[in-house]
Amino acid sequence: MNSNAIAAKQKSDSAFMKRGVIFAVMSGVTYGLYTAFLTLGQASGIWGADWYGANEAGLSVFAITFILASLGSAINDTISGIWCLIVTGIKGELGDFFRVLKTKPGWVMIICALIGGPIASTCYVAALQLGGSVIVPVAALNSALGAIIGHFVFKQELNGRMILGILVCLFAAAVIGGTSFANLGPAALMGCGLALVCALGWGIEGAVAGFGTTLIDYQIGITIRQCTSGLANLIILLPILCLIDGNIGLELNLLGGAITDSSIIFFIISGFFAMPAYSFWYKGNSMCGAALGMVCNGMYAFWGPFWCMIVLGLVAGIDGWMLTPIQWIMAVVMVIGIALVGNLNPLNLFKKKEA
Amino acid sequence: MKPLYYAMLKYMTTVDEASVADAINALKGEYGSFKMCRPAPMQEALMTAEKNGLLEESRFDLDENNQLRVFYRVTDYGRQMIRDYIKD
Repeated sequence: MNSNAIAAKQKSDSAFMKRGVIFAVMSGVTYGLYTAFLTLGQASGIWGADWYGANEAGLSVFAITFILASLGSAINDTISGIWCLIVTGIKGELGDFFRVLKTKPGWVMIICALIGGPIASTCYVAALQLGGSVIVPVAALNSALGAIIGHFVFKQELNGRMILGILVCLFAAAVIGGTSFANLGPAALMGCGLALVCALGWGIEGAVAGFGTTLIDYQIGITIRQCTSGLANLIILLPILCLIDGNIGLELNLLGGAITDSSIIFFIISGFFAMPAYSFWYKGNSMCGAALGMVCNGMYAFWGPFWCMIVLGLVAGIDGWMLTPIQWIMAVVMVIGIALVGNLNPLNLFKKKEA
Repeated sequence: MKPLYYAMLKYMTTVDEASVADAINALKGEYGSFKMCRPAPMQEALMTAEKNGLLEESRFDLDENNQLRVFYRVTDYGRQMIRDYIKD
């Protein structure tokens, strides 16, 4: 075998692996950015001053707890779906987007979007309300569940070193999330149960939609995801929540208020960042396998608070968003966990290239 | 007309082995105008399919321009997945 060919092959394989890791890591970074702008949007204008503040609209506790959170997700995902359609058009893939929708893999992506979008996200919001920060590590189990699904369903590698790395990341995510086990009551346990549903939902989405990106280009995959999630939130989830609240007309009132308010600009930005947050997650999982892809993405547990500190704390000047030293340390611990899962040496980044 | 990636994977089930150049050549009649039907994105699609077990490498060498050329063939698992999920 020609040694130049072997060297070129090794370089190509290594570049592919690096590109996969970069996609997966950037999914976490942009997930943090989308979270920060979504949080800022839900703290600004009519959201902060009226709905979550003075409550001149007279919203019930249920509406404030669940309907507003779902409304935020619905607006974010719908705007993100519009961004996705624009980018898919620019990349010349709109024709393929509609063609994929009519096929079996397209339907699998739609089901994944429903599981990971309205179902898992609503469970997460409800779990947080019921259990507080104790549910954060339970929801973070999605990486572990994704890796297990990837292993058993798609025959992806999962060994002792990778499991240890996943556990290290899980521990770091729990510490960053400020997990407190002090007030564990029945409500918190119910919250943990819902967080487990959420973890399972995101685990299924990451592993299955990640694999689906082998058959479907990731840009088409994310366009299906965001359009499905946005529409399902608007057309199915919100009306159901408003019905439970006993006020079926509430959705249109809130939606009208939200989209005509100045805070919509932050949702336009959050929707933009949600696009790479999910598409790179799918793409990274398909290139690295669900285990490595999902722990790289799982650094959103750090990037979320990090970008909230920058966007809400430093730029918007809102108090209470500074990261603590322990959170910074846990970010490093997460990198060690990721390195264990991927059998990567992070120090290689600082090494000079061999001549 | 199938989506581009479907057509590429279906094509892989019709040949013993193929490189990215072979796949593009076979598909360019119908998909030549597609921005994604170019060597870099198509090579990444083949490598992703290989990473997920649908394809496997059969051999590699350097072409006349000294560029790496990797040949792939479909696996039994890939053939079954492609048959089950992508209609002819």
